[in-house]
Amino acid sequence: MLRMRSFLPPLLFTIAYAVVSLGVTNSYYQLILTLVPVWAVFGLSWNLLSGYTGLISFGHAAFFGIGAYATALGQIYFDISPWLLIPVAAMLGGIAGLLIGFPTFRLQGHYFALAMLAYPLAILYVFEWLGFQEVTLPIKRDAPIAYMQFADPRLYTLLGLAIMLATIVLTQVIERSRFGMALLAIKQNEAAAEAAGIDTLAWKLRAITLSGAIAAAIGGFYAQVLLVVTPASVFGMLVSAQALTVVMFGGVGTVWGPVIGSVILIPLAEILHAEAGARIPGIQGVIFGLAIVCVILLAPEGLFWKLRDLLRKRDVSKATVNDAPEATAAKVTTLKPGSQQRAATGEVVLEVRNLSRSFGGLKAVQDVSFKLHKNEILGIIGPNGAGKTTLFNLLNGFLKPNQGEVLIDGRNMSGQRPHTICEAGIGRTFQVMRPFLRMSILDNVVVGAYVRARSDGEARKLAADAVARVGLSAVADRVAGELSTKELRLMELARAIAGQPRILLLDETLAGLGHGEADEVVAVIQQLARDGMTIAIIEHTMQAMVRLVDRFLVLDHGAVITEGLPEVVTRDSRVIEAYLGKKWAGHAAN
Amino acid sequence: MTTKSKITITRRTLLAGASGTLIASRAWAQQPAEVKVGLLVPISGLYARPGTVMREGAEMAVDHINAQGGVKALGGAKLKLVVLDSGDTTEKAKNAAQRMVAQETDLVAASGAYLSSFTLAVTEVTERASLPVLTLSYSDLITERGFKYVFQTAATAGSQARQALPQIIKLAETASGKRPKTVAILTDNTGASIASAKAMREGLLAENQLQLIVDETFTPPLADATSLVQKIRSAKPDLLFFLPTVISDAKLLLEKMNEFGLGQGKIPTISFGIAIAEPDMLQTVSPELLQGVLTCVASWGAKGHEALIAELKTRYKEPWMTQNAISTYGDMWVIKDALEKAGKADRVAVGEALRTMDAGPSKYYPLGEIKFDEKGRRVGAGMTIVQWQAGVPVTVFPPALALAQPFWPKN
Repeated sequence: MLRMRSFLPPLLFTIAYAVVSLGVTNSYYQLILTLVPVWAVFGLSWNLLSGYTGLISFGHAAFFGIGAYATALGQIYFDISPWLLIPVAAMLGGIAGLLIGFPTFRLQGHYFALAMLAYPLAILYVFEWLGFQEVTLPIKRDAPIAYMQFADPRLYTLLGLAIMLATIVLTQVIERSRFGMALLAIKQNEAAAEAAGIDTLAWKLRAITLSGAIAAAIGGFYAQVLLVVTPASVFGMLVSAQALTVVMFGGVGTVWGPVIGSVILIPLAEILHAEAGARIPGIQGVIFGLAIVCVILLAPEGLFWKLRDLLRKRDVSKATVNDAPEATAAKVTTLKPGSQQRAATGEVVLEVRNLSRSFGGLKAVQDVSFKLHKNEILGIIGPNGAGKTTLFNLLNGFLKPNQGEVLIDGRNMSGQRPHTICEAGIGRTFQVMRPFLRMSILDNVVVGAYVRARSDGEARKLAADAVARVGLSAVADRVAGELSTKELRLMELARAIAGQPRILLLDETLAGLGHGEADEVVAVIQQLARDGMTIAIIEHTMQAMVRLVDRFLVLDHGAVITEGLPEVVTRDSRVIEAYLGKKWAGHAAN
Repeated sequence: MTTKSKITITRRTLLAGASGTLIASRAWAQQPAEVKVGLLVPISGLYARPGTVMREGAEMAVDHINAQGGVKALGGAKLKLVVLDSGDTTEKAKNAAQRMVAQETDLVAASGAYLSSFTLAVTEVTERASLPVLTLSYSDLITERGFKYVFQTAATAGSQARQALPQIIKLAETASGKRPKTVAILTDNTGASIASAKAMREGLLAENQLQLIVDETFTPPLADATSLVQKIRSAKPDLLFFLPTVISDAKLLLEKMNEFGLGQGKIPTISFGIAIAEPDMLQTVSPELLQGVLTCVASWGAKGHEALIAELKTRYKEPWMTQNAISTYGDMWVIKDALEKAGKADRVAVGEALRTMDAGPSKYYPLGEIKFDEKGRRVGAGMTIVQWQAGVPVTVFPPALALAQPFWPKN
């Protein structure tokens, strides 16, 4: 029901656009009306990859051009109708996406963007070398409709609109599904996404394949509109830039961004070209560029988000009067002293044997062995640089150990990819929080639930359950950007437990919290342990830890110094020495 | 207040309306009416310079035609030039063409659009709108699509190479006393260059008993010409065919040739296309380096055009008349002739007139007649060879049009 409603705005928009275009008889205006959906769809295809995953592609023209050339050459050499060639082009674009994505996804950030830039430029020269500098579509005077050559230009617009509507709906379906969530999680923090059980490479490949297919299909349609295909007009820098421009202008990571960008920019560029360019040649580029610069400066994420933020701000200022600051963690039981009887009794769920990892000459983790028993809370402490986070990274697969084993339920999992280890039942949180600021708490948590959930509905249920367990149900619909540090920590915790792990690795979950706040989070963690979760936690602040954990593991310089009950460990002179230096070890003993 | 302003607005609109009607009726009364001719060329972006020169040629022609009494068959109707900017991409050119046919509905013919890929896109639109277009673009493709409303005034790329080669060999033979045997081709990979180089490789060189010993294709713009020039130095060809499209590439190669001691005629250099003879060349390359360099172009200011060349110089400060100026100048006259023949300001009639016209020897295009074959190619279209002499590229071939004698660079 909710889903149907979200399809309504694009449908209404498309119908309104179609009605307007049907009334336009001037073939020049009609051409502009046709180009708007063309660039909107191209923007949407870019958005599908780059907007949602955050991996900026400067080379989407590669797919666009492959589609355009496939459609043109197929007609010239094999006399196939574009009705058939455009789907074929989409397939070729998808294959190209896969072939390009597979090697290129090894790179990240700017490196990915720059590598993508190379593909269309390289392909451009290949097509020039092949002698396809200028390719014109043959006129089919006897069967124009069968070859998509309409005498009435309005039909092109309608066809373009149909492709646009289909792409919007597809994007919306993806946005709300596991697919979209996975992509968003990758955008926010690829490592965290892996840790949450998302096979990031597989999802990225799916995204670039689909994105390439859409770009190639619209490229094929564009060739049909332009009638002439040259390498520069379909593989050129400006084509790739066009996708970025409409999306950056309209809004990144939303289905409406490319549409808004295209509806405003394409006609604007043409009007400037026709009106201003006739008086001062070249001025159109200056005005167009300035307009884009201004919008990017004023609304860095695009018009859509700027407008939405403005609207939301107005709504919020109206609403806050009623629901003043609420007690969020009201339901959480108050802090109780740690119940030591759990310690060391249950079965061993995680066993680490002689784990070592060094970075060059630095032995970050050396020969660490310990056991984690079912239902216990193990505190891993040690001074800065002791190797705590490296140990976690070895446990959940971010790093491969040089030596040693990690046994989960007796199975050696060391060296596996993070999402595989997550599936095996290890969840983790991170020292630096990476919430999806524009999404609600519930949506943030859903990302973590997919590792266990088979359907979208099940994932929502698991997420709601996890939110309830950390006591955030009352604010589940609030946007993460409005939350306090404590609530964000709890949300991260909920995301980690939404995947129903049996073992939870918490990396400095109490960092940055005030005294009272830390107590609330500690209470939640204790409750989780009571409910059957096994927890390993890294922390600096001893105070809260002493009351929380069942057992301590103390690391220094990558090696285990000691292990044992809190009261014993905190009095150990080696521990005090590690934290405070030799001088204080003597003092503490007294 | 509001009512008052409303009244004034109504009054003003009324007044405007009335005066509008007055003007319109006066225009109606003023016989003969104007006849609109389109010019769709790049006047912004990368190709703005040649496009601007084309506009200058067209403006001169329209002024001359109107000064000589306009179109007599239409009661002395004056020509009016409508200039549209094709921009610097194929898409922009196509959009501009669509704008031209949709909004300038009373155009009778047009000229355009400089680059052959632009012309291809533009004529896809004008063909469907039955608007005749004259073009100096010489890609063979333009007139191979079975279109009825496109007229190619220049010899096609393949034909130009075919005409030029024997002339160049003859020139070399008479000047140096021996026939050249080996050649090198250095070409960029743009459409026109590829077409010319292809024609040479596939038969033309063999027909003229020339042996191809270096064959290099590069992508503009060149970053460094050293490796190309080294290949030429080690092969020592008798002739170098050099086909750049970008001025900076021409400069880079000529300078590097000079640096390696191959310049200024040590290895005679023959180019195709206008890039190496553009006025802008002199801004970056010294005249000594260019001395003797030959280029084969579709058209050039030549014998009989002296007055035009002088006018272009004084009116627009152009140092000489390139193919862009003279061809577009000629286009306007051909359109005028077609209007005279058609007897009415109607695009279909003008198209028909162009297809059937036979206006005798060509005055502004090199050789041939003002007559088009069934493909829309000008019958007997020749080409010109231009040589840099004392800092000016002058026409040296064909003899009928030559403004100076060619010389063969001596070692």
